[in-house]
Amino acid sequence: MKKIHILGIVVIAVAIGVIFTSLQSSATYSDFAEATSNPDTEYHVVGKLDKTVPVQYDPKINADECSFMMKDNKGIEKRVVLHKSVPQDFQKSEQIVLIGKMQGAEFHANDILMKCPSKYNDGKPQI
Amino acid sequence: MEKVTYIGEHLWLGNLGNAFVVLSLISALASTVAYFFYSKETLTSEWKKFAGWCFTMHSFAVIGIAGTLFYGLFNHFYEYAYIHQHSNNSMPLQYIMSCFWEGQEGSFLLWTFWNVVLGNILRKTIDAKWEAPTMVMFSLVQIFLASMLLGVFIGDYKLGTNPFMLLRENPELANAPFLQMPNYLAKLDGRGLNPLLMNYWMTIHPPTLFLGFASTLVPFTFAISGLWKRDFTSWQKPALTWAFFSIAILGTGILMGGAWAYEALSFNGFWAWDPVENSSLVPWLVMVGAGHVMIINKNKGGSLFMTHLLSIASFMLVLYSTFLTRSGVLGTSSVHAFTDLGMQGQLVIYVLTFIFLCVILLIHDKLLRVSYIMLSLVMLAFGVIYGHKTVVLLSWIGISFVTTIYAYIKFFPKEEEEESLYSREFWMFVGSLVFLLSALVITYFTSIPVMNKLFNTEKAPIKIADYNMWMIPFSIIILILVGITQFFKYKKTDGNVFFKHIRISILLSIVFGLACVIPLYFLRDYEAAKGNEKWTLISYAILFIVGLFAVFANFEYWLRILKGKIRHAGSSIAHIGFAFILLGALISTSKRQTLSVNTSNKNVESLGKSFSAQKSLLLTLGDTLPMGNYMVTYTGRERKGIDVYYNTDYFTKGKNGQLEKAFSLTPMIQDNPRMGTASNPDTKHFLSNDIYTHIAYGLLSDPKEIKNDAYKEPTNFVGHIGDTIFADNAIILIENITTNVNEEQFAKNDSLLEVTAVLKATDVNGKVFYAKPKYILKENAVLPDNAELNELGLKFIFWKINPNEGSIEIQMSEKVNNSKDFIVLEAYMFPFINVLWLGCLIMVIGTVIAILERRRVNKIVKDSSTLS
Repeated sequence: MKKIHILGIVVIAVAIGVIFTSLQSSATYSDFAEATSNPDTEYHVVGKLDKTVPVQYDPKINADECSFMMKDNKGIEKRVVLHKSVPQDFQKSEQIVLIGKMQGAEFHANDILMKCPSKYNDGKPQI
Repeated sequence: MEKVTYIGEHLWLGNLGNAFVVLSLISALASTVAYFFYSKETLTSEWKKFAGWCFTMHSFAVIGIAGTLFYGLFNHFYEYAYIHQHSNNSMPLQYIMSCFWEGQEGSFLLWTFWNVVLGNILRKTIDAKWEAPTMVMFSLVQIFLASMLLGVFIGDYKLGTNPFMLLRENPELANAPFLQMPNYLAKLDGRGLNPLLMNYWMTIHPPTLFLGFASTLVPFTFAISGLWKRDFTSWQKPALTWAFFSIAILGTGILMGGAWAYEALSFNGFWAWDPVENSSLVPWLVMVGAGHVMIINKNKGGSLFMTHLLSIASFMLVLYSTFLTRSGVLGTSSVHAFTDLGMQGQLVIYVLTFIFLCVILLIHDKLLRVSYIMLSLVMLAFGVIYGHKTVVLLSWIGISFVTTIYAYIKFFPKEEEEESLYSREFWMFVGSLVFLLSALVITYFTSIPVMNKLFNTEKAPIKIADYNMWMIPFSIIILILVGITQFFKYKKTDGNVFFKHIRISILLSIVFGLACVIPLYFLRDYEAAKGNEKWTLISYAILFIVGLFAVFANFEYWLRILKGKIRHAGSSIAHIGFAFILLGALISTSKRQTLSVNTSNKNVESLGKSFSAQKSLLLTLGDTLPMGNYMVTYTGRERKGIDVYYNTDYFTKGKNGQLEKAFSLTPMIQDNPRMGTASNPDTKHFLSNDIYTHIAYGLLSDPKEIKNDAYKEPTNFVGHIGDTIFADNAIILIENITTNVNEEQFAKNDSLLEVTAVLKATDVNGKVFYAKPKYILKENAVLPDNAELNELGLKFIFWKINPNEGSIEIQMSEKVNNSKDFIVLEAYMFPFINVLWLGCLIMVIGTVIAILERRRVNKIVKDSSTLS
């Protein structure tokens, strides 16, 4: 067996390792129902901010916590506690992705991704 | 509808621009065909002249498109959608350049432009033998790029997007009222450059990065020509210089992007494994691999398959990353959310076409080649007619992969001789393989949104921690190889000599490394770490030690083996720079310290919740709070246009314990009308560390506008003696409750009852004020006597006594301007981040020295061969 073949086997082993671990470890996009049934698993929940309920953020009490209602893509609405300061332009968000776990009736998120309108160019000229 | 005759439009510009677009496409087509025929003939062919003429024509056309667009931008011709969307009247000159490449059409144009520049240099400098085949490929790529600027409809399918589309041709504006007026241009101003992009990075980063992308095309065309002409070696020498040119430029472009992210965008660092960053890094990694296997080939021969594979893969990955970042497939997974211009299909077709081309050229058998082409066409037809695109695409890729392997085994020259373990070429080859492998891992991780689309899955993007987990072992292997490989000779090295040379570097790096690593990672962090974190710390320590080893070993090689000659030291210097980059990234990221842990004394209440991830600090106007080694105070904000600047001062303790001002930082929030607010960090650079701050939350309104002396709605408090009330600017203690009557008199309830609450108010500076609101009961009517604290803007009304609970009720009113301005600040300390930037500089310098030396040697060889 040549050395090049050993290298080839190592490469293939790494490739399988990468695919295997990424399939195992990476979270999936999901909804509140699934997050509620597996409270210990981290999920990425996609949904919309309920703009009719005010966002609670009092930096004097805790600058790293805010709370709001989000409706997931299946229409279930839950209170969310985000362990971060309230994102700028939160009210303008069209869609949000929360990363976190369910704790009781609340979803506790460590991170948030927002999709806002008109990032870079939105193609709609304004006058 | 009546046709409106518009006034003041400069339609000639669009006509001219479109004429250039069409000319560039036709001349690229003609040039491809002409070079193809030239490649079939002898070297002195009529085709040579014609092909050259076509490519010159094409260059002229591309420069014409760019010039026309610039002319329109400079003269504010807002009747053109692209110009309207990206520039405006008030734009300073230097940003007009940035407007040019802000949009997709412009950035494709920039790419085409660089290709034309490089193509012309290539065909003037290249050996006659390689001119025709490389230029066929070059022109073919130019056809694809030119077609991206066409913007014509073929049936329902729009091919490319045109930078000269008129504003009123935008389908979304079909019925816009302002476009019904003939003189709509008179009042029209452009939308301008996104203010977030209005800085010098936007002027220098895109051109450098696109030159880097363009430069990967040259080794690609060489490698493809090699396959085509079945001459696998003689292209490698001229391609080598190009490969290292590409490494230097693309590397600079990527690092500029990192520096931009660190300096001007609040990514909290210089690298976030964002898909857009990854897709520029991946071609670079592959090009580094390609460059190094070409060096093996030049010095010792062999490694033919790897040189072809890597040179081709680098450009293909540029194409693939263009598809990833420009097709909208990434969606929410990237901060660089470029919008979909409907070119997804087009970009996929380009990537697949080049894979197809490579496989065909690799097959050296007529029957097999024809079967592969037929099969591909049948599958294409099947996909178009019956759908099942995922299945068809995946099986085609599978078939192409198997065919490639078969063709390699059957038709590709292979080395007979096995490389020795004690040879430079073996370890360089392993290094290149590691680079390719790491590039593939990153590509796989970044492609998760694509796979979601193909397989209808819902996988979330890979986390930064997972990227780091995978890349650290790769970096460790690479750094070890960077250290040892130069000490091996080509072909065969005496093992004893090798160990004799390298042992000092090993010893030094272990001694110095342990001396650094133990205090850095093991004295405190290791104890506190749980489970996997312990392994992470160990991997950091190993990376640190091998990083030092790479630096020492290359330095030693330069001093001892190269005798300190700078001319030959290009590779050693570049390797030292590379090791510095990884060391700087490691230290500044792993030892990043959050300074903004909450120290505000008002938060005592909430500490019970035990927050481990505290990272923001509430700073009220005028407050001074400890942060890291500093005391920080927020002194107010200023609004300049759309930018709101927050002034913060940093103090250190002087010799006498007095506070001395050390520096000021003014992080900014941009109230961007086009994309909402954007937080812009401000960083204090020291030699050994950076203090990096940005505003996580801040008020945006103009502070001058708030002047209100009125009281806000009162709030009611129920309490006893000893209870506290929190106001915005003070803490109030119910110190005592006194009364003018004793219990006996109170029971009779026949006279006036007067109860006084003694309230002790302590403001943020510790100054004490007393307020004594009175509860007066006279003939069963309550007549409270208010107490005001004018200094604090507070008013108290003592209006109720609950005898059964023994509590009193007080209404407190605060003045509107009492709620002091505040910011929520995030601050980090990045230690030794300058090592990273220094490494970048050293690596680029080293690469340039190596390129110059190679050119010099090539010239000497050429001159001496002409002499003899």
